[in-house]
Amino acid sequence: MVGLPYDCLANPLGAVRFTFEKALASASAPAALEGKDWGTSDLFQRFLFEDDGISQVPMLTPTTIRSLQTNTLVRFRGMIQDMLGNEFYVGAYKDGDVWRTNKFSDVSQFPMEPSSETRMWERRLLYCIPVPGQNGWTEHYWGTQMNPLTNYTSSPRQKRQREDDISMDDVETHAPDHDFQDSSSGKRQREDGVSLQSPYLENELAGNCSSSFVPACDRSFFPCLLKVYDSPESEIKLNEVFEFVGILSFETEVAKDEIDEFDYGLCEEDMTHLPPVKVPRIHCLSYRKLAAHDFVSSSPILEPKSHIVKGIRDSLLSHLTVVLGNDGLAAQFMLLHLLSGVHARVDAVAVGKLSLNLTCLGKESSSIFGNRLNLAIRNLVPFTHSLPLTVDYLNSVSLSPKKDYQTNRLVAGALQLAEGSHLTIDETQLQAGTLNSTGVENARVLKMLMEFQKVEYDFTYYKMEMAADVQILILSDGKSNILPADLVLPFRPSSADTLDGVEPEILKAWRWYLATVRSLTHSIEQEMQKVVEDDLVAARQADRSLGSQDLSRLLTLGRLMSVSFGETSLLLEHWQMVKELDRLRKERLQGSA
Amino acid sequence: MASDSSPGNVNGGPPSPDESLSSPIGNTFSSPGDSTRQGRGRRSTASYDTPTPPRRTSSRFATPEVTPTPSSGTNPRRRKRASSAATATPTGSAAAATPSSADEAPISSEAGDGDDPDAPPMYVWGTNISVQDVNAAILRFLRHFRENPAEIEGKYMRAINHIIEIEGDSLEVDAQNVFDYDSDLYTKMVRYPLEVLAIFDIVLMDMVSRINPLFEKHIQARIFNLRSSTNMRSLNPSDIEKMVSLKGMIIRCSSIIPEIREAIFRCLVCGYYSDPVVVDRGRITEPLICGKQECLARNSMTLVHNRCRFTDKQIVRLQETPDEIPEGGTPHTVSLLMHDKLVDSGKPGDRVEVTGIYRAMSVRIGSTQRTVKSLFKTYIDCLHLKKTDKSRVNAEDLMEAENDTNRDDETVDYEDKIEKLKELSRQPDIYERLTRSLAPNIWELEDVKKGLLCQLFGGSALKLPTGASFRGDINILLVGDPGTSKSQLLQYIHKLSPRGIYTSGRGSSAVGLTAYVAKDPETGETVLESGALVLSDRGICCIDEFDKMSDNARSMLHEVMEQQTVSIAKAGIIASLNARTSVLACANPIGSRYNPRLSVIDNIHLPPTLLSRFDLIYLILDKADEQTDRRLAKHIVALHFENPETSVPDIIDLPTLTAYMSYARNNIHPQLSDEAADELTRGYVEMRRRGNFPGSSKKVITATPRQLESLIRLSEALARIRFSEWVEKQDVTEAFRLLQVALQQSATDHATGTIDMDLITTGVSASERMRRENLVSSTRNIIMEKMQIGGSSTRLMELLEELKKQNSGTEVHLSDLRHALATLATEGFVVVHGDNVKRI
Repeated sequence: MVGLPYDCLANPLGAVRFTFEKALASASAPAALEGKDWGTSDLFQRFLFEDDGISQVPMLTPTTIRSLQTNTLVRFRGMIQDMLGNEFYVGAYKDGDVWRTNKFSDVSQFPMEPSSETRMWERRLLYCIPVPGQNGWTEHYWGTQMNPLTNYTSSPRQKRQREDDISMDDVETHAPDHDFQDSSSGKRQREDGVSLQSPYLENELAGNCSSSFVPACDRSFFPCLLKVYDSPESEIKLNEVFEFVGILSFETEVAKDEIDEFDYGLCEEDMTHLPPVKVPRIHCLSYRKLAAHDFVSSSPILEPKSHIVKGIRDSLLSHLTVVLGNDGLAAQFMLLHLLSGVHARVDAVAVGKLSLNLTCLGKESSSIFGNRLNLAIRNLVPFTHSLPLTVDYLNSVSLSPKKDYQTNRLVAGALQLAEGSHLTIDETQLQAGTLNSTGVENARVLKMLMEFQKVEYDFTYYKMEMAADVQILILSDGKSNILPADLVLPFRPSSADTLDGVEPEILKAWRWYLATVRSLTHSIEQEMQKVVEDDLVAARQADRSLGSQDLSRLLTLGRLMSVSFGETSLLLEHWQMVKELDRLRKERLQGSA
Repeated sequence: MASDSSPGNVNGGPPSPDESLSSPIGNTFSSPGDSTRQGRGRRSTASYDTPTPPRRTSSRFATPEVTPTPSSGTNPRRRKRASSAATATPTGSAAAATPSSADEAPISSEAGDGDDPDAPPMYVWGTNISVQDVNAAILRFLRHFRENPAEIEGKYMRAINHIIEIEGDSLEVDAQNVFDYDSDLYTKMVRYPLEVLAIFDIVLMDMVSRINPLFEKHIQARIFNLRSSTNMRSLNPSDIEKMVSLKGMIIRCSSIIPEIREAIFRCLVCGYYSDPVVVDRGRITEPLICGKQECLARNSMTLVHNRCRFTDKQIVRLQETPDEIPEGGTPHTVSLLMHDKLVDSGKPGDRVEVTGIYRAMSVRIGSTQRTVKSLFKTYIDCLHLKKTDKSRVNAEDLMEAENDTNRDDETVDYEDKIEKLKELSRQPDIYERLTRSLAPNIWELEDVKKGLLCQLFGGSALKLPTGASFRGDINILLVGDPGTSKSQLLQYIHKLSPRGIYTSGRGSSAVGLTAYVAKDPETGETVLESGALVLSDRGICCIDEFDKMSDNARSMLHEVMEQQTVSIAKAGIIASLNARTSVLACANPIGSRYNPRLSVIDNIHLPPTLLSRFDLIYLILDKADEQTDRRLAKHIVALHFENPETSVPDIIDLPTLTAYMSYARNNIHPQLSDEAADELTRGYVEMRRRGNFPGSSKKVITATPRQLESLIRLSEALARIRFSEWVEKQDVTEAFRLLQVALQQSATDHATGTIDMDLITTGVSASERMRRENLVSSTRNIIMEKMQIGGSSTRLMELLEELKKQNSGTEVHLSDLRHALATLATEGFVVVHGDNVKRI
């Protein structure tokens, strides 16, 4: 492998040009290249994933943006917040006798004569923001501390390109070393293989553990405009979390005074509200959807083996028990709640959701346990949110996203959340008061999210329901009537011991456990199905008030219970456990009533 | 070549300069000092439509410079071919250079209605479309197209004459007609709309001036109803410069922008008025010197605003309608450019279908910048706009007025659909299929769904010459145990029905339901505001938690439900508002759960006056039945563990369902057949007789004339479901059955008015019902055979043995037999005392 005629990292456009020329040589007419990839994607795919170039691609963050240069390769992780439709551009044009392309760039590399022959192509515009509610600890895995400057000195990088076979996480966590011992660090990585236990990391994690108590949502507003080429529409959906690799660019701003009346009417909306200074553009070369486990470090345990899973489960459960003041039952349900997620939708029913309502939380206990719980959850799942449910809040905030036709943009509401986010709603502060129309609307939106896992997006002339997948935990004094949760459990703490610090390694294992186990597939055996059916029928015969929702909840619990043990099919013992848990819960409900 | 001649030729320059002012690009090109572009622009315009006559000043389209670098691969080729054609035929190139001389050719050929053999063939720039051919084809189409061969005068000739009479300025042309008459012309028109429409306008103006030489207005062709409409999402670069048709919703309209077409200047020194200066590529060149020979003052000319000619322009944004947005996507938008008459023809929120030309213009960048921006902005130059509203079932006269003019343009598509609906209606099991398709996610409750189906289709309203009117709307009350998905049903119907309004009884006041008087915040006048019932005129008003409504509010419903009006007399306003609405209400029985020890009436606990206004009152009772439980359990287990996609039964999708309903409501008005009338009479008499059962006076709902009306309405609705113009006997029978099932009458013990819980049939599937009916009839047969009237009684077990012998195929349980006997007992056929059965 000799040096390539281009440099993927510092001069990706060179690579684009190179492949374009090569493709042109065989295709003869540029029309043949329209709307498809001419080998650029393959090239970068190979560079990024096979040659592991991705670890060298700097992450675009508010801190790195200053040091990054335009027309270089960058990475961006974010949630699709809005889609701005398609954009037509001069895809190819003739410069003298040579065809040039504008693909993957905003401005042409060579002067484009107004009279030259051109081809019009299209690309998609996506507006991305950092995932709402992303917790601080996740960022350590994708290294904001990496110094991007190392990547611009070309010689070490080319060397590394060949020798790097380490995973991205490792490189990033070690990134600060690169300044001094770039190549040697690479070697060291190889030697000890997966070296997560390096002293540096441990320090980092320990620090993280305490520092991550600070909510991460106040990170500065940092949106990004993605330009995506040749992708099927169905691959990218609203509210999904992606990692994009592409070419950073800053569009030259259209001078204000030159926009005359007509232009103003036609193009004001899209661009002038996204000043390029604040919103960087990325021409996307490659993207992949991220799931929760992409935000958790790759762990030594790659296969969810049952005994390991069980070990982690037990330790997590006991941790949750301590957090919940020795309320074992609550901890059990909390664990299942944290594992829940919508796995199918049949008509209006979202199957698999399990919202939990912890009742009997008075003012005092909520200030203690509410905070503890929040912190614990924040440390466990990547994206968390909490809403203080007060009359004022409901009356003032806009929960559902709304389309602003003045700017032609979707204004994110508090409920535009990424898939798999966790939402804590604290109802203990709720006082008597009057809801205005906004408040009523907000309460309705929340209820809809609880019941159907759908959020209504307000498009003024109509509402559009978007499917969501959010775990909802409600803390309240009495049973919440505004927000009917799937599970209602009176909370019975028996002690309020202070929490011991958690070992970062264990914390990491828990995160891995939650992320991995959640994504397991699940099925049911014939005989088990029979048993379950009989049980349901018997339960319904015994208690006529059981509705299909109650039965459905039992099955969800069963499924989650066996998943929590890393099983892929429902086992009788887990089913029995669930029934027992539900019985205990009902006893408690009656006791408190 | 041409570029030299055109600048001076203000009037005759084919790209009649004033049109470019309508084009946004005109502006784009006006950046000073951009001489290369201007030069190119001229060249292209000149070589473009050579044969256009000088008169063509009214074309609303900008010349191709709108898309100066038109991206679409065809353009460079076009240009080449044009030039080669020009060089090949010297005459052609001459024509190109001096367009005014070339005009004669097409016009004369038009007059002769044939091609002048001497005239050189002229092509639309860069295409193989001969201008003469297109010209002749359009002329032929306009002159000779007839929708009906029997018509003496062609459709469009009539239309043109009409326009001249009313001094209109546009001719609506149905693209479907063009296609039917000359599919080649249609193809050309869609592919090269700019060129073909320009010719179209010329032909039109020529025709008009021949009919009435004094007619001065320019008539434009407005094309609509293209054969295929494009999805906004799938618009792509290849659609640029093509004619497209899009559906969407207007979300934003700009203010009206006056656009100057002709400017007149006045000399400040001598007061001389200049000749009208037409816009040239979006710019007006102010004369530097006064045109008067005696004056010749410099820089003295000033614009006289009120003598200039302006046109209206508006920029409208169109957004995809929710049904076209794929899952996980946000709606796309597109800009529309409206001119003249089209301005303000749609308001934000309107659903429209537009036909226009998809165009792109390059985004300008500061002239100081060296780099060239490679972006385009796209928009649609709008030709025609039609309002549509297809989201819900069309209420009878809701859109009639607006649709009237457009009725015929929908024909083909429409007829196609109608044919499909009719085919659907011919299916023998259409009634069952529709029932299945209604709220498929709600479990069981088949008979309730059937009743709701009848409500959606409705009976026919009748107005007698005497002034008495009979409502056609069917009112339904659902009374049932909590958790029997009543509310879901309501929600579903609300979504489906035309003008559905959903309210909850707990939160509704009397005035909120009917109408109230409010002070207008701006004027301070008292105004009448419509409540839910008035708003759902010709729709269905769904009222949840009917039992929790205040008596006051409920009493307001009396008038609405029978007279279908709301009368108001307050704050000096006395009015009677139409509220022709069907009411769908649901309530819990008194004490929340149905008490089997109380009679039906006592359980429902609503005033009988109100109760009698409901055509169908459904008791939805939750009954302990292992079989249903098991099915429910199976269903839920499958939901959680299997791929839910596979278990979808054969149902009709929602749009088809609404279309089907809408068509039936609008077009089917069934009448009673004699047979059906007889059956109704017979059944009604029977009902009366049963209601007068001794000792049952108050405990059961007796038959009243209202019930007879209900039965007629239900039968009509049932006939409508089948798309039948006649109410048949089967409809009447089914209507009776629905009425009975609704109130569980078959299960009611007439002596006490209570329900035998074992006999409840609501929610029992059809097959189960069949089985039970068979059992009843075979039991009857056995009793007829074995027992004498008034004879000795027989033990149940003996009967059972007998039954088992006869029905060897199916299993018969003792409980089944008891059901059957109870049914027979209500018929007065047998008496059951404990284990003994006696025939009477």
